[in-house]
Amino acid sequence: MAALKQRSGLETLGGVARNERRAVVHPSPSPDLQAACMSFPQYLVSNYDDLLLSARDHLFIVVISIVLGTLVALALGILTYRSARGRTIALGVTGTILTIPSLALYTLLVVFGLGLGTKPVVVALTLYSLLPIVRNTITGLLGVDPAIVESAQGMGMGRWQRLFRIELPLAWPVIITGIRVSTMVVVGIAALGAIVNGPGFGALIFDGLRRIGSPVAVNLALAGTLGIVLLGIFIDGLFILLTRATTPRGIRD
Amino acid sequence: MTDNAGSTAMIRLENLSKTFPRQSEQAVEELTMEVPEGEIVILVGPSGCGKTTTMKMINRIIEPTSGRILLQGEDVTKVNPDLLRRRIGYVIQQIGLFPHMTIFSNVATVPRMLKWPDDKIRKRVDELLDLVGMDPSRYRDRYPKELSGGQRQRVGVARALSADPPVMLMDEPFGAIDPITRERLQNEFLRLQEEIRKTIVFVTHDIDEAIKMGDRIAILRERSVIAQYDKPEVILSAPADDFVADFIGSGASLKRLNLARVRDYELAEWPTVGFDDDRTTVLAALRGSDMGSVLLLDEQRRPQRWLQASDLARDSESLSDVGLPADALVAPQATLADALNEMVRSQVGCAVVVDARGVYRGTVDMSIIMAAAETMRQSARAESIAGLGQPADDSPSPVRERQPEQAES
Repeated sequence: MAALKQRSGLETLGGVARNERRAVVHPSPSPDLQAACMSFPQYLVSNYDDLLLSARDHLFIVVISIVLGTLVALALGILTYRSARGRTIALGVTGTILTIPSLALYTLLVVFGLGLGTKPVVVALTLYSLLPIVRNTITGLLGVDPAIVESAQGMGMGRWQRLFRIELPLAWPVIITGIRVSTMVVVGIAALGAIVNGPGFGALIFDGLRRIGSPVAVNLALAGTLGIVLLGIFIDGLFILLTRATTPRGIRD
Repeated sequence: MTDNAGSTAMIRLENLSKTFPRQSEQAVEELTMEVPEGEIVILVGPSGCGKTTTMKMINRIIEPTSGRILLQGEDVTKVNPDLLRRRIGYVIQQIGLFPHMTIFSNVATVPRMLKWPDDKIRKRVDELLDLVGMDPSRYRDRYPKELSGGQRQRVGVARALSADPPVMLMDEPFGAIDPITRERLQNEFLRLQEEIRKTIVFVTHDIDEAIKMGDRIAILRERSVIAQYDKPEVILSAPADDFVADFIGSGASLKRLNLARVRDYELAEWPTVGFDDDRTTVLAALRGSDMGSVLLLDEQRRPQRWLQASDLARDSESLSDVGLPADALVAPQATLADALNEMVRSQVGCAVVVDARGVYRGTVDMSIIMAAAETMRQSARAESIAGLGQPADDSPSPVRERQPEQAES
């Protein structure tokens, strides 16, 4: 959290030596000038630890949002999957949220008193993550063979036992796929959080936008974009491992 | 009369009715029937007659609209359904094993819910897997997808038996299994039932299965109205009305072969030889009979090959490589219909009877079938004449030694 606060200002990006450790290692009289002359690889090397911090912050807000979103979406899915009307409402509402432009949603959340920084970003990302998880929770639960559920019922398992011991474990591969899709969506949208001072790679891109025309703008935009893409690939890899680790052996392909 | 019924009936359904929401017609109408303890009662009827609904009302997967269900004399119509279901074994057509759990966990489900101690559960699961013919050390830790259809069915039965419930409900339990395996599982299940003596309500649409498996058969028409409820041999020889006669269909005498078990008849002997016998002995055995072939048994006396004189021409070959493979094997508890079926498939025109370990016991040939058919025809004729006066009587069955105790009641 300390890092988030430290990094929350837009103006700190792009060359001012806000990290004292780096300033000691690379004493530089004119960071702006130096940055302007750097090629992209040079830029990466000299801003290595800043970029890692951006990656960490970006990952952090994504993880928080997805964990919150998963909890909310699972609850929504579980509560609604058995009724056609409930499903329509849950999917309609979460689907509508996804149509709100992120720029508008961020702005609205700030206007409604969440302030600048991490908070509005996490709330917005949580809302955006809902649809794929709700949809896959419903699809997964409806896809469980009714004969299996009936035999569980016939053995005397109550409603919640059936849900937690039979239905959710069997629907899990579908649900986690939804979480994975949501994560990918959110990794991208998180970048736009920079307009409300959100942390992460978005700040680099916005800084690049502000300095358009100067050579450093390319480096900033490129580093931000590449960072997001690499982070996406990294998270996707994690999901492959997570899916394998959490899918019961009897239903793995 | 009520006292008597209370002591012998494991399950009693009283004026049980079911009307599904948004349907004007009743699915089950005022059904009253008793299931005696330790018997297999088959509910059979055309599709849509309400037989499955009736069965599912017993464990209240479907809640009855009106009427009462009594289990061992206790009214269970209003008790906690989950607790009720833990006292009733349940096997459905799709078996419904939990694919994400091992065979052990599947079978242990109900004992775990009943909070049995771990070592008791472990012992019980092993015992049950043994009972259904599956080696516990080999299958305990496997998953359902690693088993064949027949093995899954066995595990389904073991799981239903896990907490030793007095009652089992089975909804077309052999319906989704290929005919050859089904035949074997049916026979295995009948053998098992002789050991466990559960009270079983068994739903099927297949009259042949009903005749084979049932101690009693309830033939149901629409809205689960009982057309006839009696022992299979009585239903076959004295159908109550045209509906029952139509449902049994033609070939009632062939179907009666389903009621006779191989072990109840004296088996024919076939000349046999062992691996150790030399060719002279084999030839002597061949000449000593008019069968035209001898049956080669291995050291454990299990049938291996059919040998004919022409197979012995070349000395160089081992006896185990010549002749025809010995197939057409039936178990002692197989029905004569099974035996007839095997006989037709067989190369030498007889079915070989082997016990559970595969040891040769004798053969069933055409003369045994003909003699059995004749006996049954005569007793059926006698029964239907007797049945004219008092339909659905309980006269002793000539071929089914399984139920002498009912005959006295």
